Amino acid sequence: MNYTEKTKLIQTRAAALLEAGEVSYVLGWGATRFADKTRARFARSPEEAATLVYNEHCTQSLAKYLVDDRWPETRIAILARGCESRAINRMIRDNQIRRENLLILGLPCEGTDAERCRSCRAHDPVVYDELLWEPNSTGAAAAAELSRYYRADAVDALSAAEKKAYWDDVYARCIRCYACRNACPVCSCRECFVDMHRTGFQGKRHSATDNQTFGVTRAFHVGDRCIECGECERACPMGLPILAQTQKILKEIEALAGDYEQGLDAAQDNYLGAFDLDDKDDFM
Amino acid sequence: MDNKTITITKDDLATAIRALLPAYNVYAPAGEGERLAFAALDESRLGAINLTGSPVIPPKELLFPRSESLYTLDPETGAATVPEIAESTLIFGVRPCDLRGIENLDAAFLEKGYVDSNYAKRRENTTIIALACVTSPYETCFCESMGGDPLAAKGADVLLTETKAGDAFTAAFQTPKGLQVKLLWDSLAMDCGSAPAMTEGSKPAMTEGSKPAMTGQHNTLRVTKPDDLPQRLMAAFDDPHWAVLSEACLGCGTCSYVCPTCYCFDIDRESGAKEITEYRCWDCCMFSDYSRMAGGHNPRPTKKERLRNRYLHKLAYFDERYGMTLCVGCGRCIAKCPASLDITEVIEWGGGAL
Repeated sequence: MNYTEKTKLIQTRAAALLEAGEVSYVLGWGATRFADKTRARFARSPEEAATLVYNEHCTQSLAKYLVDDRWPETRIAILARGCESRAINRMIRDNQIRRENLLILGLPCEGTDAERCRSCRAHDPVVYDELLWEPNSTGAAAAAELSRYYRADAVDALSAAEKKAYWDDVYARCIRCYACRNACPVCSCRECFVDMHRTGFQGKRHSATDNQTFGVTRAFHVGDRCIECGECERACPMGLPILAQTQKILKEIEALAGDYEQGLDAAQDNYLGAFDLDDKDDFM
Repeated sequence: MDNKTITITKDDLATAIRALLPAYNVYAPAGEGERLAFAALDESRLGAINLTGSPVIPPKELLFPRSESLYTLDPETGAATVPEIAESTLIFGVRPCDLRGIENLDAAFLEKGYVDSNYAKRRENTTIIALACVTSPYETCFCESMGGDPLAAKGADVLLTETKAGDAFTAAFQTPKGLQVKLLWDSLAMDCGSAPAMTEGSKPAMTEGSKPAMTGQHNTLRVTKPDDLPQRLMAAFDDPHWAVLSEACLGCGTCSYVCPTCYCFDIDRESGAKEITEYRCWDCCMFSDYSRMAGGHNPRPTKKERLRNRYLHKLAYFDERYGMTLCVGCGRCIAKCPASLDITEVIEWGGGAL
């Protein structure tokens, strides 16, 4: 099935749902004046449903928009590929959204223009109410072109001195726009620590220290909940390798605890956030 | 000024910039791809100069740094130190839209009764060599729709224009500061002329009189801007369409930080045991803490109010105060927005039908 046919299916289903008043809006993608850019579209009527599009330029993962509307009066329909569905699971676990508020229209995905799609291990949605077309024949965990930890592996191969130089360079280029944070489906603090005033431990100044404090703190805060969608990197206007950080944390957790992948269901604990009185270490 | 132009072949560009190094702290676009940025040049970096694109971070950061220390205090003695501002800086390769951006900053920082002393000193100490856009660096460029001319930069000290043949630049010297540059380049041409045995890298730099390319491939993006856009947008302050325009916004600071005209800043302090630093740094009206007041009240509580404020500042408020629009059509915000928001849609909407 080609993108034109898929777009038609999306438009038809969205129009029917809006016509019947079953959902307050359908969250999908719409066209912009640039052929290679799409933008999140909130279709609120059957007429607006006809403006939804689906193609290889739908690079943005839509799940983060759900936190803009935590208490909808009528359900929200969201178009969900593997990345959106895993984000939804994790956001439910984080008490950010509620499953009963969503009608999930699953879209088995072939990947987009975005680089992160080349390491995707979950092209098919892992949670949905209905699938709009047949799942990929390769199954949810299609063989990815890039290895799961491709960024972290590249950094791990460096010497300690090279790693320092690598991260110094990255954070010299960070402009503290917080696009990574705002695009991230698991960055969900009501007030982010970098928005707090005069905490004493972090500053607004664009300096190597303050930039790294932001980056490292964020990485540790989201690392064990990261669903590996790569929105952070896609959003970064400076092209920084932000995924390397959370990939590294996931890689270490996997080495410690075995198979570890987030967002596969909505009941999963996160490794660094869970505790157990029978912990194998004696500090408990 | 001096009507005489000189021509610099692309092969001799490094030689021409080398001649400026003893007199100025020279910054020019250098690096490839996403690393393309205005960088401090020295002999070792001359080869990295890259004039094919326009850096994501505009040259405003050289006049209005991302962060600057205003003063430091010694907590023991209370003695204050005010950092020195560099003398004689030269920015090479400023695009005409970014120069208009600097002219916007001039209005904000130098006019209406308050002069920002740090900005004023930097501006005074800075020579600008502009580079005409014979081709648009971004697909999203729309400077012509915002009244800009990609081939002209009136306020620049020197204007470089690629020649028709594409193998050289014609330099026009437009101000007294520009003539200082011409003096350095003239002497270089004379030196080279009398030393024919010089190596390839420092062969004669200049010949006079080639014609600049007067036509180029200009913006493909054309935007219809209503003449009374500021009035129309202000009249539409309560229009429900702002909610639609902002619904895809992620609330990050990308648009502001890549913008050549955004000039908001915050002032804060870092208190250490050995040193207390009062600094100012870029700030952005899209952030929640930007408009938060003492006690926690936020008059712009959601992205709708914040985005409306940003667009109104660009397209209405600044015009009302300074008589010029605060959007120069550089296209960076459109190219870099992680949610693909597009300021040209706001311009064309123009507040809707009146």
